Amino acid sequence: MNKSAETSEKKGAVLPIKTSIQDSIKDLLKNGIDHCVFDAVMIPLRVPAGDSFSYVLIKNKSLLNDAFPLPPTMSVQGAKAVSSVTRLGNRNMKIAAVMRPCEIRATIELTKLDQTDLENIILISMDCPGTMPILDMVNEPEKTMTLFNDATKSWDDTQMRPVCQICDKSSMVAGDLHIGTLGTDKKSFFIIPNSTKGKDILEKLKLPLTDSIDSWNKKVKENSEKKLKKRQEVHSDLKNKIGDLTNLLDIFSQCINCHNCMRVCPICSCRLCYFDSNKVKHSSEEYLQRAKDKGSIRILPDTTLFHMGRMMHMSLSCVSCGSCEDACPMSIPVAQIFSMVADETQRLFDYVAGRCLEEPLPLRTYKEDELHEVEDVHG
Amino acid sequence: MKKDDIFLPKILTFLCNWCSYAGADLAGTSRLQYPASILPVRVMCSSRVDPLLILRAFLNGFDGVLVTGCHLGDCHYQEGNYYTRRRFVMLKKVFDSLGLESDRLRLSWVSAAEGQKYAKVATEFTQKIRELGENSSKNKIFL
Ligand code: SF4
Ligand code: SF4
Ligand code: FES
Repeated sequence: MNKSAETSEKKGAVLPIKTSIQDSIKDLLKNGIDHCVFDAVMIPLRVPAGDSFSYVLIKNKSLLNDAFPLPPTMSVQGAKAVSSVTRLGNRNMKIAAVMRPCEIRATIELTKLDQTDLENIILISMDCPGTMPILDMVNEPEKTMTLFNDATKSWDDTQMRPVCQICDKSSMVAGDLHIGTLGTDKKSFFIIPNSTKGKDILEKLKLPLTDSIDSWNKKVKENSEKKLKKRQEVHSDLKNKIGDLTNLLDIFSQCINCHNCMRVCPICSCRLCYFDSNKVKHSSEEYLQRAKDKGSIRILPDTTLFHMGRMMHMSLSCVSCGSCEDACPMSIPVAQIFSMVADETQRLFDYVAGRCLEEPLPLRTYKEDELHEVEDVHG
Repeated sequence: MKKDDIFLPKILTFLCNWCSYAGADLAGTSRLQYPASILPVRVMCSSRVDPLLILRAFLNGFDGVLVTGCHLGDCHYQEGNYYTRRRFVMLKKVFDSLGLESDRLRLSWVSAAEGQKYAKVATEFTQKIRELGENSSKNKIFL
């Protein structure tokens, strides 16, 4: 997982698709368990009611038959799942975690924040056509399954969440192994190693690397360039739409302070968040004082402080996964706003959240000679 | 113009204990003139200032927020102010990306010997904030 691996020519193995891509991935995972390259698989399963998915840690190989390596919706962000299993360390069990690229990138950010232990984790991602709104699955499960299935073939993203329609990193390889479905003849798929761990696994499974993943590279580049253009357009529209404090307040004025967006965010992992602390529990005297200063005060207060505070604290690690927007009961475009701000703050430090494990978090490092433009010009 | 008509901004100023606070003190003991707009808060190091505190001051209606610290290389904790600078740049970027007035935020290095500079920074920043006028968050209820 290094920066150079991203740009240098990648190699991969080519595997045939027998019945469907999902089945082929499951075969590969079973093969991995058989060859003891991992002991368990963390992968989404459809819940019995059929209207949602959930990550499940599978030890019993036969249960893999019911798994969905790439489900239409994202319930718990995968990084949260990996973190909850490994936060206290993981010495004994080698786990293959099968997730979307944005979930892997969030996992890498959480690792930098000491919230995971990746030593025995194998991160497996795949080309992501986008994720559908979480409620689509609840409201119309079968229709959603069909639409998503079609989208994995056509790569038409119109049914996907807005933040997925502007995702230029849907094939970003940041984990140990990546499954490439773009640029293939539909009868085969690529499996691309991105770390020594990943390479070792392919070796153990006797999957030889070929040089011929050019078609994947080409298609991925095309796709991400197209998406990046759209992303910039959407972000600049949004930026114009906000443009000042009044409009910003208008957007967040519907917020009911449920803090769902924070609870589901994979990056918001602090044990005690400022916004849960006593610092935001004010006495009635303080409320009255603030009401006196301004003439009146909204109850509950500090909505903007919450959203902007979160931007200050986590936008450098935001992976635009869209979980916050999925979870917002008021349909506030939280992820679109956060992704816009995040792109700008990350660009400051030439940082891309989750791109690689070795890149330090921007606020945990510095250069002596940089950023002089922000220092005062006086005296 | 009557004296009362001149807008006297409220500026929250963080001063690090080891340099800038001493600098401000020196400005005082040297009887240098600077506007009464400054509300000083002493912190142990400029890196103690969580961007959230600056944001909170801004949203609560302070017209400007000034963060001061030792010159680069002189931080009492060796590298605190390098981190301050990174956070400050990030904070300003968040403001800019949302169209908020990041000119109301300023970062300045003031040593213990720079009473003059402190008075100058305080005067010039106050002037700048006067030009910007009142912080509009002061009149917003639905923050
Ligand atoms: S802020 Fe939203 S889009 Fe960004 S990482 Fe958190 S949940 Fe995902
Ligand atoms: S989930 Fe939506 S309503 Fe709830 S706090 Fe976040 S933005 Fe506000
Ligand atoms: S002690 Fe002055 S900036 Fe750190």
